Amino acid sequence: MSRNAPTAAPEQLTVSRSSAVSLTGVSKTFSLSRGREVTALSELDLGVEEGEFVAIVGPSGCGKSTVLRMVAGLDSPSTGSVAVEGKAPRELAKEHRLGVAFQEHALLPWSSIWNNIALPYRLAGRPVDKARVDELITLVGLEGFENARPKQLSGGMRQRAAIARALVLSPDVLLLDEPFGALDAVTRRRMNRELARIWAEQRITTILVTHDVEEALFLADRVVVMTGRPGTVRYVHPVDFARPRGADITRMPEFHEAVDLLTGLLDAESVPA
Amino acid sequence: MRLRTAGLAVVGVVVLLAAAEAVGRSGIAGPSWPPLTEVVEFLADADRRRTVVRAASTTLTSAAWGLLFGILIAGAGAMVGLLLPPLRPGLDRLAALLHAVPVIALAPLLITTVGREQTPTVVAGLGVGFVMFVAFSSGLGLSGSRSTRDDVFDVLGANRLRRMLRLQLPGSLPTVFDGLTLAAPAAVLGATIGEWFGAPRGLGVLIVSAMQNFQVTLLWSAAACATVLSLVAYGITTVLQRLVVRRVS
Repeated sequence: MSRNAPTAAPEQLTVSRSSAVSLTGVSKTFSLSRGREVTALSELDLGVEEGEFVAIVGPSGCGKSTVLRMVAGLDSPSTGSVAVEGKAPRELAKEHRLGVAFQEHALLPWSSIWNNIALPYRLAGRPVDKARVDELITLVGLEGFENARPKQLSGGMRQRAAIARALVLSPDVLLLDEPFGALDAVTRRRMNRELARIWAEQRITTILVTHDVEEALFLADRVVVMTGRPGTVRYVHPVDFARPRGADITRMPEFHEAVDLLTGLLDAESVPA
Repeated sequence: MRLRTAGLAVVGVVVLLAAAEAVGRSGIAGPSWPPLTEVVEFLADADRRRTVVRAASTTLTSAAWGLLFGILIAGAGAMVGLLLPPLRPGLDRLAALLHAVPVIALAPLLITTVGREQTPTVVAGLGVGFVMFVAFSSGLGLSGSRSTRDDVFDVLGANRLRRMLRLQLPGSLPTVFDGLTLAAPAAVLGATIGEWFGAPRGLGVLIVSAMQNFQVTLLWSAAACATVLSLVAYGITTVLQRLVVRRVS
């Protein structure tokens, strides 16, 4: 931590009792062929408060997606513990209280957009709240495309449908893994503005994994910078821009300073490929 | 491009038929290979045609029931394996074992258990069952390959049954219908062979009796009819497969 960059204040790293999500001393080792192993994460501590939006940025291969997969209950740590609202993530998943969107939209190609967004109700064995599904379709701006199938939509529209699906059950925790990573820059910025608007209305505890510093600063309350492999928390940057945030904040000098600072940290962490 | 492929296919069939005709006319393959025109002439007679068509409808009925039962049993087996993973290896081995036993060895057993009339259906079903079990197993992802959709279903807390109904079964349809294009001709073949073991009616019976009485043209007519049935079954299932792929992807 004694590298030539600001260090995080200790209180930002400690896991407070009211944390909605807490990772404590998390390490993750994957075994490769012939008994070789790779340590993806090492001694990572991270807490996310209730109603907080935390973005995780880091060089590629630093294990940021692994962090998200652990919070989603898709991976388990080799050592340390991951808790969401004090429980194992898988328990929360079983109670249908997690929402997720990946870089791949993962919509069902044989279902209409409406049915794709209604899917979480069906997987939870609950009657579909039609008004709620319609509300989400309006929220993400897909009116008129209810009966379309995913392949008939553009990449950005598919991602919006995936985000609507993640939100429809009003999850306690929303997990976003590079949800706009496959989109072009212009669409991506528009999607960021829309996500900021949607999030301002719902204020769900959210973890966003991204490699885009501007995206992280635009959306999050705190940006966590991870080190290269083995990944751990390098620096935590609080973001104070008032909400609701519009495109105007990206033109503020403070925004640019923060972008420069975090980009510099990331560049220092990136190992030449 | 498509037109060219179709044209080549037609040319291929014509060349093959012409070659068969030439062999028959020249007599180099002996008296048991008649010219194809003779077979067509043979079938031009209404009474003979009625005999072959009646036999074909019996075979087709056996094949259809065999196909239906084969699909249902294979599908049920694969789904049980999906919902109850400990049973998977056992089911795989059972399917492989049933497939490994030659039909000729099963025939006496089938005749004494299900009877001569039902043997063609069961033989057709056995052939279909194995192909369809493999198709269902790979379509349902029993091999363990995962996609982002599986991750989404995990995070949304889907149980095994809902995952199967909402994700795995619809996702398996292209592979299952792929299997069907192999299983449908296999059902016709299985029913025909099943009729060799003493069934009262059917193309298989016609083939055996024509062979024993050296009615060469009748033998060829029955064989040609079985081939046409197989090809039609393949054609119909191929069209279905394309429609399904378009619907689910």
